[in-house]
Amino acid sequence: MNPIAAIGRTFLSVSDTVGGITLTLLRILRAASRLRFDRDETWLNLYKVGVKSYPIVIMTAIFTGAIMVIQSGQYVKQTGATGLLGWGAGYAVLAEVGPVLIGLMFSGRVGANNTAELGTMKVTEQIDALRALAIDPMQHLVVPRFLAMVVMLLLLTALGDLFALVGGALTSQFILDVDWRVFFNGVFNSQLLDEYLVGLSKGVTFGASISVVSCFYGLGVSGGAAGVGRAVNNCVVTSAIGIFVWDYVITYLAN
Amino acid sequence: MVNMRDDPMAQAVPWLKPALTRMPDRPVVMRVQGLTKWFGDVCVLDRVDFEMREGEVVGLIGPGGAGKTVFVKICCGLMDPDAGNIEILGENLLELKEKQRQRLRERIGLVFQNYALFDFMTVGDNVAFPMKQRGGSTPEEIEAKVQERLSEVDLPKVRHLMPNELSGGMKKRVGLARANINDPELIFFDDPTAGLDPVTSSKIFNLIRKTQSHRNSTCLVISHDIDRMRPACDRYILLYEARVHFAGTEAEAMAATDPIVREFFRKEEGLK
Repeated sequence: MNPIAAIGRTFLSVSDTVGGITLTLLRILRAASRLRFDRDETWLNLYKVGVKSYPIVIMTAIFTGAIMVIQSGQYVKQTGATGLLGWGAGYAVLAEVGPVLIGLMFSGRVGANNTAELGTMKVTEQIDALRALAIDPMQHLVVPRFLAMVVMLLLLTALGDLFALVGGALTSQFILDVDWRVFFNGVFNSQLLDEYLVGLSKGVTFGASISVVSCFYGLGVSGGAAGVGRAVNNCVVTSAIGIFVWDYVITYLAN
Repeated sequence: MVNMRDDPMAQAVPWLKPALTRMPDRPVVMRVQGLTKWFGDVCVLDRVDFEMREGEVVGLIGPGGAGKTVFVKICCGLMDPDAGNIEILGENLLELKEKQRQRLRERIGLVFQNYALFDFMTVGDNVAFPMKQRGGSTPEEIEAKVQERLSEVDLPKVRHLMPNELSGGMKKRVGLARANINDPELIFFDDPTAGLDPVTSSKIFNLIRKTQSHRNSTCLVISHDIDRMRPACDRYILLYEARVHFAGTEAEAMAATDPIVREFFRKEEGLK
């Protein structure tokens, strides 16, 4: 294979995807700005996306906090700087690891589900049926999902942060023998509000990114069940890349 | 009102004349001129001319892959052609923006080949959905109309079932009820009897005729089942190799000397 042709093909493919995602975002924002999206569908999606996701987010968050404490624990024990345990775990969890891991879990659960759902609707002509019934799929299906994912990933990140700290405190108490009050003192005395807010802004951005990517791939499905499978796969991969790219951008801007 | 003698379309397309003279006083509901659609190197519709008058039921027949479904999707504004002109219910479809197309679609019904029922809604919600979205009706009015439409298609007791609990024939009838809920002036039926047994197929065609005569709607029915669609259709269009190969009544088809037309209609006659 000609390497230049391969590079050219890859470049065109990436440009096609990025362009498509950008256009999808613009179409979503235009439809959302009319404030005429389906409210029932939005409530339903808030429930599906948020309420049904919180067990997995809490589980992820507890272990994330616990792992952060275990990782820093050996150095804390060696140096006796137990007051830094809360700061170290809190800083890492609130600003970085918490939002990223929750975003990845969210992408795997909600984003993939969204792509599969929209893709199946596309291949079974349900999207065409909506249009034939004079209903705009963007306002009826896509905008409610976008709003639900943005709002719910923000709330889930806030909730996840809390549980990550709880997980850290429990690990600190029972594994490292560092009193949980010492751990929380370390967190609250370190003035981590900025990191917390940066983490939440990542939650909003990841939510928007996952929703746009999943809707783009879902609405672009062709080729039946195999096409849906490919779209879900592409959605998970692209969402993960999106999370890391946006994480880098926000971290860079915040520092 | 369009007068046959003044109608330039009828003058330009000779085969339309006999069909149009049967309903000369009826206004034209749909007029398609030079419709062309390519998918890559394959031409699926090649300069198709077509016209329907109010209250007509036209059967669109042709071999698989002849472009029948594409034709219907283009006429509903779900797909754009590469060339041609489409006038539907007095509007030039291709000049309309998406919002205007949406308003036009409120006057059009479409029954999909593969049902396209929303699988996350009950049957009743599926049928009610277009009416709810349109607005302007109370929940009681919507409920009453849903029940009326489901009764019309002989499914008065399935309101609370999910689509996956229905048979193929029942899904088709629910699709018919949904397409009819807003009393459209023009209805497209994309192979409404595909995969159905002969008895259910006959029922579906009877329903189409009944619906048309109740509301004086204009219907375009795609089917391969010429034998069973006979009672429902006023005339036929045969799409063959991307072009309109024949247009006329069953009698005209039977009298035709063209081997393709004869093969299509005589084969079905043989089955009778």
